Amino acid sequence: MPPELRRLLQRHAQLKRGLTMVPSSCDRDVPGIELSPGLRYTEAFADWLVPPRIIDAGFARMDPVHHDRLLHFDTETTGLAGGTGTRAFMIGAADWQEGRLRIRQLTITTMAAEAAMLRAFAEWLDEDTVLVSYNGKCYDAPLLATRYRLARLPNPLAGRGHLDLLHPVRRHWKHQWPNCRLATAERQLLGVVREDDLPGAEAPAAWLTYLRGGSARNLRRVAAHNAQDLKSLAGVLLHMATLQEA
Amino acid sequence: MNALPDRYASDDLVLGEPGDGRNLARRLSKRYAARITGAFVVPGREGRFAPLPDDLPDALAGALRARGIDQLYSHQAEAWQATRAGAHVAIVTPTASGKSLCYTLPVVAAAMQDHAKALYLFPTKALAQDQVAELLELNQAGALGVKAFTFDGDTPGDARQAIRLHGDIVVSNPDMLHQGILPHHTKWAQFFENLRYVVIDEVHTYRGVFGSHVANVIRRLKRVCAFYGVNPQFILCSATIGNPQEHAEALIEDAVTAITESGAPTGDKHVLLWNPPVVNPDLGLRASARSQTNRIARLAIKSGMKTLVFAQSRSMVEVLTKYLKDVFDHDPRKRPRIRAYRGGYLPKERRAAERAMREGSIDGIVSTSALELGVDIGSLDAVVLNGYPGSVAATWQRFGRAGRRQQSALGVLVASSDPLDQYLVRHPEFFQGATPEHARIQPDQPLILLDHIRCAAFELPFTGDEMFGTEVATPWLDLLAEEGVLHREGDRWEWIADSYPAIAVSLRSVADGNFVVVDRTDGRQTIIAEVDYSAAAVTLYEGAIHMVQSLPYQVEKLDWEGRKAYVTRTNADYYTDAIDYTKLKVLDCFDSSHAGCGHAHHGEVHVVRRVPGYKKIRFYSHENIGYGPVNLPDQELHTTAVWWQLPQMVLEAAFEQRQQALDGFLGAACALHIVATVAVMAEARDLQKAVGSGDGAWFASTDLRGRGQLRGSDGQPAALAPGAPFTPTVYLYDAFPGGIGHSEPLFRRREDLLAQSVSLIERCDCRAGCPACVGPVLAADESAPSLPSASPDGLDATTPKALALRVLALLVAL
Repeated sequence: MPPELRRLLQRHAQLKRGLTMVPSSCDRDVPGIELSPGLRYTEAFADWLVPPRIIDAGFARMDPVHHDRLLHFDTETTGLAGGTGTRAFMIGAADWQEGRLRIRQLTITTMAAEAAMLRAFAEWLDEDTVLVSYNGKCYDAPLLATRYRLARLPNPLAGRGHLDLLHPVRRHWKHQWPNCRLATAERQLLGVVREDDLPGAEAPAAWLTYLRGGSARNLRRVAAHNAQDLKSLAGVLLHMATLQEA
Repeated sequence: MNALPDRYASDDLVLGEPGDGRNLARRLSKRYAARITGAFVVPGREGRFAPLPDDLPDALAGALRARGIDQLYSHQAEAWQATRAGAHVAIVTPTASGKSLCYTLPVVAAAMQDHAKALYLFPTKALAQDQVAELLELNQAGALGVKAFTFDGDTPGDARQAIRLHGDIVVSNPDMLHQGILPHHTKWAQFFENLRYVVIDEVHTYRGVFGSHVANVIRRLKRVCAFYGVNPQFILCSATIGNPQEHAEALIEDAVTAITESGAPTGDKHVLLWNPPVVNPDLGLRASARSQTNRIARLAIKSGMKTLVFAQSRSMVEVLTKYLKDVFDHDPRKRPRIRAYRGGYLPKERRAAERAMREGSIDGIVSTSALELGVDIGSLDAVVLNGYPGSVAATWQRFGRAGRRQQSALGVLVASSDPLDQYLVRHPEFFQGATPEHARIQPDQPLILLDHIRCAAFELPFTGDEMFGTEVATPWLDLLAEEGVLHREGDRWEWIADSYPAIAVSLRSVADGNFVVVDRTDGRQTIIAEVDYSAAAVTLYEGAIHMVQSLPYQVEKLDWEGRKAYVTRTNADYYTDAIDYTKLKVLDCFDSSHAGCGHAHHGEVHVVRRVPGYKKIRFYSHENIGYGPVNLPDQELHTTAVWWQLPQMVLEAAFEQRQQALDGFLGAACALHIVATVAVMAEARDLQKAVGSGDGAWFASTDLRGRGQLRGSDGQPAALAPGAPFTPTVYLYDAFPGGIGHSEPLFRRREDLLAQSVSLIERCDCRAGCPACVGPVLAADESAPSLPSASPDGLDATTPKALALRVLALLVAL
């Protein structure tokens, strides 16, 4: 490409806007063990509420479900633009293990590790899995479906039961609450107050900064935010199930 | 005198027996011999037929027979064989020759036999809807079980999923493919995995900037298809252009089999070139084209001929419709016989006009170029063009609307006062003998290419030394990585930004959202029309009379930001006509060099189009009954340009008067524009020319007399004080937001361009100048006697041609 042409194109791309140099950082610590190159895995247990054996999902017009079958999941993504250019860089999932909530998170530190992350997540699901999410039917599940398709992998979410709590929460509280975001639901129903929470909108920049050689600090805060989302998801589900009994 | 009743349109010219183009042409020629500057007959031809192919599925053959199709035209049979043999095919036959069956047969057969899918692309939503209606009728006639849907911006969200999964034939447009389908291709996985045919109709409309974009959308489509392991066959259709096969091959970047011989029968077509009579010999003023068009259309309709009138602007459509309605639709108890058809009507209204025309309940329709494309309106007997449509190809496409039936048809081109029109009617041989224009695209235009590599990288990551079209993508990807939208890891470039790039790329350049026209008469709030962004400034200013189906509405309030115009019904006896002009300012000069006694430059410029006011013009008499001011934001374009200047001293030495130098610059601009357009293979409308002062103090345009007229920065005609600085400048600029990258190659070839312009003018056969070299000139200039050589400094040296050559000579290197 001739240099004048390059200059012309740069001018039109308004490089000034995009050229935010990321300072390289020595804080490059992403927690967890490396399952394969670029794929980090963390696991933690939370003693957080006690689930009944059978959970009444009638509030979402679903059959009662054994708590063993639930997989709460939430992704952190590179943006909200949609389409084939948006990806998940973190997938978190929580399930009940002997009465305790197990929180597992997969984080990629390179683009190339995406396929390994998708494969690892697929192994967490089986035929009986019932997915639990907050707006996952419209956001996380289609986004992952696109990623599995692009990686030429079968989509493990297809055909699974899926309890999306956003809609039942809206049905119950849309007239009482200022909004029905998960953060509102957890505060109203579970009394959760987050400290030093990284707003979800800053997650893409946190990962991009790390990817470009910058600090991992905010990426760790994304993981903490994601873990709290998963705990709240489990809590909101239990709350709604008891609501049904009352 | 224009207001007098038309006593010449006497009814003795009206034909007794209905609808015969030959007879009406003969009578018109006899009565108005002086107005007819050219008459020729395009002979009809016998139909050539072929039996329905043996390998056509029985049910499909049955459906065809049920719809009255027992045999094919020869080109339809050829298309069947070529597509079945696996070739990409381009079908180039006239309007109304049954083109759509050429692709319907292979597509429907493959859907029935192999569940193969097809994607159809049409340039407009209206054509897509026509096509689906036709497919549904065929499907019903044979219970074929083939599902066809339109998929465009109007498709409701809840229907989209079903269409992606179950549509056998999805009918869309390039814009939707670009913004709605490719960036979501994973949702269409099933469709792409089974995609066998891509049908692109009306490919002659994909040229210039739009065509260059579409070629890149096709590159992206092929790239996504490759991801799903398919390599679909392309079937392209085009109206007559000079280079159909070359153009089709340029669009899909692959070899195509061209089918160019139509087997459809046609009747003779009688074509007349019509120049309105001189009404004021002293001033050389002619009667208006409008009055002549009106008269010819009236005669044709009274003779029982289904007639289509093409007008150049939306307001002219409304004016002509009103005049014809005044004659044919004055009795409100009867069904209307005349209708208008143009962009800006709501789809429902356009469908109704099309249906009424097909059913034969309408006798006359007045349209803009909207009907030039293959909208099905049934048989027509006469086509009248109110003014030259700007290209030979478009003229024939419009005439092609008449003569569907095997009886002779009439086509009349009525010249307007526009100098180009006047040139054409004075030279019928040029019109008759010229090959139609070539369609050109430049898919590797750097800014367009970069936009589409950006979109392509969003759709699928680039790897290794991947090619995009004919270019290795790597340097472009590096540029995008610098910008921060891509992230490179090893030999892969992945999309990383939180944005959806296709939204920011419009295939049709400036499309900043349509305006809706809201009727507030008697407290109503009804949307009665839509106007696109580029036309809003000249049709929806406050005070404008906006005609809808020839009913006048007055614009009371224009909400520019909200894209809304509020109107009320009015009984005004006038219409309005916007005054608009263009000026240009240099922002940054990238490079300069000597050019003869002057300089050449290229750099960034700011182009402003302004509408300072409007004229009120009374119906029928067309007298100007007043002006109104317009207060609207300027239409601005930030782009690149190349320009040439001569110092005042040089000009003063070379020209006796400033007017001559100005005329010389305008003529040189015209020649440079022609040569440059060819040099960079641009569409004439994508590259524009302008003449103005080097410091932006004034600009010049050609007035009605074909002479340069100075205008000040306020747009008012102005005269320079004798002492004022005078540095006329000729600009060639990209009519494309952000520039299209023409100016740099033009600057590099600046000497060549000047030499070619000189040669273009010198070799032109005209005496004083013509649209083919320095621009249209007055008949008076053209017919002035050539002076003997005894007068070396005489009149000849001041013809527009000679003045342009003088300017160019000063710019050519010494």
